[in-house]
Amino acid sequence: MEKKLVIKNEISEIAKLSLFVEELSEELDLSPDLTFNLNLVLEEAVVNVINYAYPKNESQEISLSAQKIDDNLYFVLTDSGKEFDPTQVPDADISLSAEDRQIGGLGIFLIRQIMNKVEYQRIDGKNVLTLKKQLS
Amino acid sequence: MEVKILEQNGEHLVAIEGRVDTVTAPDLEMKVSQVWAMPGITLVFDCEKVEYISSSGLRILLSAHKQVVAKGGKFILRNLNKEVRQVIDMTGFSRILTIE
Repeated sequence: MEKKLVIKNEISEIAKLSLFVEELSEELDLSPDLTFNLNLVLEEAVVNVINYAYPKNESQEISLSAQKIDDNLYFVLTDSGKEFDPTQVPDADISLSAEDRQIGGLGIFLIRQIMNKVEYQRIDGKNVLTLKKQLS
Repeated sequence: MEVKILEQNGEHLVAIEGRVDTVTAPDLEMKVSQVWAMPGITLVFDCEKVEYISSSGLRILLSAHKQVVAKGGKFILRNLNKEVRQVIDMTGFSRILTIE
């Protein structure tokens, strides 16, 4: 099973992403919990690319593929923007009080919490983020 | 996403319906920020019909809490569904926010 999506680097494209996850969930009969979490992870990862990889107002593409191999689900997110390694972004410190909590840093934290493996590579001028989720 | 804000039983109730994601969160923030500036209020987010929330929505929860508490008020999250509750727990927000 392999499924692909290409979107533009615009926030409004997030709607296509949730549709992609819904379709994937139906095809693989995923639980509502996992569907919700995968939607969350992919939104956070794509928003990072939109916000950091490309200059604003420059229309570019972001590719996403989903592949099930044995009992694992792999997502590969690819963009041609400037080098940006989200795995180097520090996690939000969730032990702080409300007053000390910072507004940012939650996206990468959620990705790390939900996925079993998060790997970044720079290949041929492209950012390639591979995310693995074990299904059972 | 639909947002309705009403005053009832001494509370400012924000009823949210649908998805709170990177696309819709700015609209929620704009609507709620008109309320959270008021001193000493009890601001309640009724999340019964929230299907999904991403970090963009979580940031608004934290902002709402900080704004309201700084002005001597109270911020409450109410009626979280199982999936939304899991995200709130995962991010440690359940330790710092009041959840009913």
